[in-house]
Amino acid sequence: MNQPATVAVTGLTVRHRRTVALDALDLSLSPGIHGLLGPNGAGKTSLIRVLATVAAPASGRVELLGGDVGSHGERTGIRRRLGYLPQEFGYYPAFTVREFVAYVAWLKEVPADRAGAAVERAVERVGLTDRIDARMKTLSGGMVRRAGIAQAIVNEPELLLLDEPTAGLDPEQRVDFRALLRELGTEATVVVSTHLVEDVAAACTDVALIESGVLAFRGTTAELAALGGESADSDDSTTNAIERGYTAALRAHRDRRTGGPAGRRVKESQR
Amino acid sequence: MTSPTPPPWHVTDALALRYAEGAAAETDAWSLEKHVESCSPCAGRVSAAVRAGAAGPALAAVRAELLASVGHRPAPAAAPAPARHPLGRGARIWWAAGPALRGSWVVAVALVLGGAFALAYGAGFQGARSWLLAASPVLPLGGVAVSYGRHADPLYEITAATPSGGLRLLLTRTAAVLAVCVPLLTAGGALLPPVAGFPGAAAWLLPGLALTLATLALGSFVGCRAAAATLAGGWLLAVTGPLLGQPGAGTGGAAVLTRYFSGLVAQGSWAAAALACAALLVLRRRSFDHLETR
Repeated sequence: MNQPATVAVTGLTVRHRRTVALDALDLSLSPGIHGLLGPNGAGKTSLIRVLATVAAPASGRVELLGGDVGSHGERTGIRRRLGYLPQEFGYYPAFTVREFVAYVAWLKEVPADRAGAAVERAVERVGLTDRIDARMKTLSGGMVRRAGIAQAIVNEPELLLLDEPTAGLDPEQRVDFRALLRELGTEATVVVSTHLVEDVAAACTDVALIESGVLAFRGTTAELAALGGESADSDDSTTNAIERGYTAALRAHRDRRTGGPAGRRVKESQR
Repeated sequence: MTSPTPPPWHVTDALALRYAEGAAAETDAWSLEKHVESCSPCAGRVSAAVRAGAAGPALAAVRAELLASVGHRPAPAAAPAPARHPLGRGARIWWAAGPALRGSWVVAVALVLGGAFALAYGAGFQGARSWLLAASPVLPLGGVAVSYGRHADPLYEITAATPSGGLRLLLTRTAAVLAVCVPLLTAGGALLPPVAGFPGAAAWLLPGLALTLATLALGSFVGCRAAAATLAGGWLLAVTGPLLGQPGAGTGGAAVLTRYFSGLVAQGSWAAAALACAALLVLRRRSFDHLETR
């Protein structure tokens, strides 16, 4: 944790019309794989879209890769070094996988002489090489998602944002995907939004738990597991421990919120 | 390395052969080795003799193994990969065109053009050319409206996070729309039967350009779809309003259209409007890669 922060968010507030999606959120992330956990509607996608420089915050400061997202010039530089897999994304059905990924490479200003090799490498890393010249409309849901991951990594991003990347993947593909995540996480800052605790257990080094737009827990995966306490069951898995930790952290957070307005920060009380 | 005067002695074929077989006397071998350092014809002759001799296959095997171990791939496999772009030239133009040219907009343009021809030559309607001229300036607006933005582009969420997803992409796609509109509609207008005292087929170009740039400039405030709808609606009202006011006149519209299209004043005003909109667009160039607020 002594590396410089690649993501520094302070006082981030996001509103959707009249509801508050994120409420004065502070978060700082360094290279590694960060799991973004939380119940549905907690604000995970709102946070990812702000980090992807797609949505504007109502207030707060967002610094990515050393640049300020609010400044036009710095934002362009950030976007070249960014990878983003939206939770739901469209595509041109008649494009092949190669064309789809190459199109995004063009939009991300990957130099033309490197684009061809970069596209093939990205597609190979998600295991779609045998379908690289198949049209997008002929792909299954899991393959479309893998093509989506390929477009996100085609520019070798330093900040990679994946919103529900394992949705629609079968168990074997999930295992492959987590291996790819660990590989990517050695160099880049990877933020994975998920509601699957097992994704976090298998691949993530850090966890940020969001509930109702507020950070409810922040720590390593092991710390979250420890929060669940010891299990009476001797052959208990890590996933179960993290699931219990997740529930315990949420419950503690809700207790603090209902107990008083001071329950924003969790970290102090949890130590 | 090369001595100024060539050595007087050279390796004979017989010596090279003996050396390759390992049968040369030790002193002869020394002389030969010393000599080939400075005499390339002899070095080539000795090398050829060695490769042709008993050691040849072994040397070839060692060379192949060494090349393989340093990661040298055979030439035929390596050659095509770096040279080829992932997309062919045609596909790249196609992609740059965006959704408009792959969707219903092209069909709409074709229908308007086909309809004008059907009216002119099928039904003998004399005013077909003026109708096409009246409709031409708004057709690019439709193309712009369905080219860019969240509602029109399935890839929008991904493009919004890229450095080129803003004005650059919008201009590329607008250029593609114009590249289809301009030749099709101008040629179409020229092929229709002319109307007496009526502006030429190219008369719509400046109004079309001005309205397109106005759509982009207004779109920087309210979004391209709303801008295109506003300007297209305004144009159609301005053109058809007076036409509807005097029904029954097949060529009566010519007078109205002449006011918009003909003469130096009209065309000059369109050119000025186009310049003004382009200037506004330059000022507003950053608004298209702004963060989305809702």
